[in-house]
Amino acid sequence: MNGWVGNILRVNLTQGNYTVEELDPDIAKDYLGGGGLGVKFLYDEIDPTIDPLGPDNKLIFSVSSLVGTGSPTTCHCAVVSKSPLTGAIGRSIMGGYFGAELKYAGYDAIIVEGKSPEPVSLWIMDDDIQLKPAQHLWGKTIPETEDMIRAEIEDEWRARGTQRTHGEWIARETQIASVGPAGERLVRLAAILTDKGRAAARTGMGTVMGSKNLKAVVTRGTKPVMVADGEAFKQAALAIQEILKGNDLTGNRHPKYGTPIAPPLWNTWGVLPARHFQAGIFPTEAVDKIKGRSYRASILLRGKSCFSCGMGCGRLTRVAEEEFAGSGEGPEWESVALLGICCGVDNLAAIAKANYNCNELGIDTISAGNVIACAMELFEKGIITEKDVGFELRFGDPQAVVRLTREIGWREGFGDILAEGAYRMTEKYGHPEFFMGVKKLELPAFNVRAMKGMGLNLATANEGANHMRGPMQNLELIGAPVKLDPLQTEGKAEWVKKLQDSMAISDSIGLCGFLDWAPITDEHKAALLEAVTGEGYTVDNMLLAGERIWNLERLFNLRAGFTKKDDTLPKRMLEEPMPEGPGKGHVCELDQMLPEYYQLRGWDENGVPTLDKLTELGLEPI
Amino acid sequence: MLRIKADYTKCTGCRQCEVICSLQHKENTINPKTSRIRVFMREDLFFPVIAGPYTDAECNARAFVTIGDREYDECWICRASCPVKPWFKEPDTEIPLKCDFCGEPPDPQCVKWCFQEALTLVEVPD
Repeated sequence: MNGWVGNILRVNLTQGNYTVEELDPDIAKDYLGGGGLGVKFLYDEIDPTIDPLGPDNKLIFSVSSLVGTGSPTTCHCAVVSKSPLTGAIGRSIMGGYFGAELKYAGYDAIIVEGKSPEPVSLWIMDDDIQLKPAQHLWGKTIPETEDMIRAEIEDEWRARGTQRTHGEWIARETQIASVGPAGERLVRLAAILTDKGRAAARTGMGTVMGSKNLKAVVTRGTKPVMVADGEAFKQAALAIQEILKGNDLTGNRHPKYGTPIAPPLWNTWGVLPARHFQAGIFPTEAVDKIKGRSYRASILLRGKSCFSCGMGCGRLTRVAEEEFAGSGEGPEWESVALLGICCGVDNLAAIAKANYNCNELGIDTISAGNVIACAMELFEKGIITEKDVGFELRFGDPQAVVRLTREIGWREGFGDILAEGAYRMTEKYGHPEFFMGVKKLELPAFNVRAMKGMGLNLATANEGANHMRGPMQNLELIGAPVKLDPLQTEGKAEWVKKLQDSMAISDSIGLCGFLDWAPITDEHKAALLEAVTGEGYTVDNMLLAGERIWNLERLFNLRAGFTKKDDTLPKRMLEEPMPEGPGKGHVCELDQMLPEYYQLRGWDENGVPTLDKLTELGLEPI
Repeated sequence: MLRIKADYTKCTGCRQCEVICSLQHKENTINPKTSRIRVFMREDLFFPVIAGPYTDAECNARAFVTIGDREYDECWICRASCPVKPWFKEPDTEIPLKCDFCGEPPDPQCVKWCFQEALTLVEVPD
């Protein structure tokens, strides 16, 4: 096979053994890789009604034919499982170098089954696969875990009698994906991080990993990845590279400022999640303190790339200020929005510190910021008190966010309740109407009363409120490739479906979503796939694969018990008019878009894929 | 004569140079472990190192050099194909690898693919 390395590593943690299976080329072609391949395995192998924290759930790491080839921005390692936060399909994606290294070790996917009786790490060093005891790593933060594992590698090589620094290099080339205390303690918001700073964060994939007593996956490989047509590949890749470099956003502003270019633009359109989504705008002076330019002038050390992406939008940062001192990667825009603006906080140093806590303990920053802000609103409304929280929890308190992210990660104090997620917390206190999320997944930084297309996406994305499944910000805010009016519902259903299918492809072939800002087309993506695999990819069968993946995820959810009722938005978004800003007076008229969306998807009025649609996609009805 | 200049302050660690170098030297085959350019990475340092001469013995002392405001272990940035580190040699046979500028006249692919222009082709006096 070309692109693919042709192997799946299946690990049984209950028995403590593994097998290497061949990747079926037809499945590989029909499901593209990454998220698509992962959902295909999960759908075929588990009962969608099982307990996600039980041994019958499976945790799948999957990459694509393009990962590791140097295809621009193609670095994704998808993590797929049944989500312990939502009960729906859980899926999250890590950037960094882990996915590529897994290919070089000789694997396209890892399927982790069962539960280990004791904490273990999975080591994948070319053909040498081992489950090593990890009791000494249990309880360690993610940076500590990576440092300790690398030190072990150096010791091992030194013991073999190799020359001084040989082990240092091997350790440095080794990639690690691990959970922190949050995953170990089954915090439902737990993430898996690689390289201490790139996270597979949403939907609690770290929780599943922790529930299996799997602390880390460690990999280094020395094998090649083959491409079908090297010359065609170079041409296709360079063409994309040229476009990215020539575009002002991808070639200049995004590398320079990273995702924190967002705040002023989001504020202009009034779509910020200010004070737990009560408002869509934030004071300009406050936005100025956290926007890209201020970020760059204060905490930024330098940009950092994921594998094979020259944009380098990762932010390596340091806070010198003693109160919030720390260093690491990020905060990214969504983290700034949820840990900051959503909590009414504009102190960038504090936001960065809360972000470092999330990185170290292994927590999804979006869900963490959202649940903390939710608690702030419950406190504001008198539903919870100092007795519940342990202190007075107010919007705008930077120390509160820092403290509570730490408590969530360790399941300490009030953090033990926040660790269950905002849905379960609002249910516990008898006020579910304050949950800002969809399908139990916390909302990201979009006040969709003023951004209707995104509202439709969040209501229908298969994991729950996941903005990157249908990144309508590209159209409704940024205007790449075209600019739509965020306050209109007309025509949004068609765009949302288009973006969702397009991202299903990107998330499966391993391409970063930021490529969509420059005019990178389906033709570009298909050209890469064909040059690398030689499998007969065209734009049409690639688009069909995207739609197939989306529908299979939908079928998983339907079998898990989800219905049309779950394709909805929080009451605030549907019924409370936006109080101020460009979206003043607006709500998100989901009912004006959803029926058309179902129709365009080829689903019946209950959102169930019709037999015709399933046949077209080669899927079996439930 | 033309030589490759590596500006480590611009490198963000994408490693496309490693990938394209390997592809350039073996048809349809990608493997950064066989690349004649590797990016040394440590915390917030990304330092492209281009394979140079082969040596059959390590240095008899380990030196530290200061470049700009930072101190470096010389081994980190040394270009030699050397017994002390696994770089710049085939992983299975240990045959040493060396940069050949992708031919004569120089047309280095790593320079062509470097997005941040950390790698550039420059004229230096003979």
